[in-house]
Amino acid sequence: MSSSLIPPESLARVGEILAGPVTVRIDRRESQRYAYAVGDLNPIYFDDESAKAAGYRTLTIPPLFITHALVAPEPASKLRTDGLYEDSTSVVLKVARMMFGGEEWDFLEPVCVGDEITGTTRLLDLDQKEGKKGPFVRLVRETTFTNQDEQVVARSRQIGIAR
Amino acid sequence: MSKYPDMSTIKVGDELPVMHKRAEEAELFLYSAASFNPHRIHYDRAYANYEGHQDIVVHGPLQGSWLTQFITDWAGPHARLLSVEWQNRASAFVSEELSFSGSVISVDQVNGSVQLEIYERKEDGSVLMPAKATVKLEQS
Repeated sequence: MSSSLIPPESLARVGEILAGPVTVRIDRRESQRYAYAVGDLNPIYFDDESAKAAGYRTLTIPPLFITHALVAPEPASKLRTDGLYEDSTSVVLKVARMMFGGEEWDFLEPVCVGDEITGTTRLLDLDQKEGKKGPFVRLVRETTFTNQDEQVVARSRQIGIAR
Repeated sequence: MSKYPDMSTIKVGDELPVMHKRAEEAELFLYSAASFNPHRIHYDRAYANYEGHQDIVVHGPLQGSWLTQFITDWAGPHARLLSVEWQNRASAFVSEELSFSGSVISVDQVNGSVQLEIYERKEDGSVLMPAKATVKLEQS
C-alpha cells in the first residue's frame, strides 16, 4: 500500500463518538429563520393549522434544520483564520483539505417544534481510496437523532473527501 | 382532486416541475446566520479566492435544503420524505442560476412510496449534485 494518509491513531477512532450526545429543544423562530433563509415557505413550517391538517402534532421543521438546531454556541475567540471553529473532535489526517462529499438521510419519525432532540455523532468509516487524481480519504460521520420519547427520528451520514 | 401526486396515478418516468434557485450575497449571508456557520468562503470573496474558489461559495447544506424543498413542494404536505441522499460533485457560486429537475424511477405500491432521481445543475448543464430520494405519497 502507498504511504497512508490515515495515521493509525485516527483509524483506531472508527466507531468512536465524535460529538454529543447533545440535547436541544426545537425552537420555532430558529426553524422559521432557517426556512426563510432557504426560501422554503411551506405552510407546515409556519402555520399551525396547516401543519395539523397535514397530520403533524404542531409545526414541523425543514428536514435538514435538525442538524443546525444542534450547533453549540461558541465564543468568537475560538474561530480559526478560515472562519470555522477550532474542532477538538476532528479526525487527524495527512491531507491538505477536506471537502464536502455529500450526505445520506433517513427520516423515521416526524420532528416538531418543541421536541427535545438529542444528537450523537460517531466516526462511522474511514477509508483510503485510489482516485484519478491520486489517493484520497473517504470519511463518514453518522449522526443519530432521537426525541423525548427515545424514538430515533433521523439518521444522517455526512461524507467528507480529503486529499 | 389534489394538485399533488398520489399513488393511484403516479408512474415511472413522471417528471417533477423544474425549480430554479439563485442566491445573492445577502441570501448566502442569511443562510450562514440561520445555520450558525461562520465559514469565510461563504461571505468573504477575497478569502474564497485565496482558498482557490472562483467566487463566494454556496453552502452544501443550503443546496441540500433546496433539494428537500424541491421534493416536498412537488409531493405536498401530506406526503412524507423517507430518505434522501446526494453527492456534491462541484461547487456552486454566488449569483449562479441553478436548477433542480427530477423524475420518478420506481413505484412501490405495497409501501405507497416512490423513488426519485434528481439533478441539480448549473446553467451550462453540468451536474453539481446528483441525488436520490424516497417519498411516501398521499393515499387517495
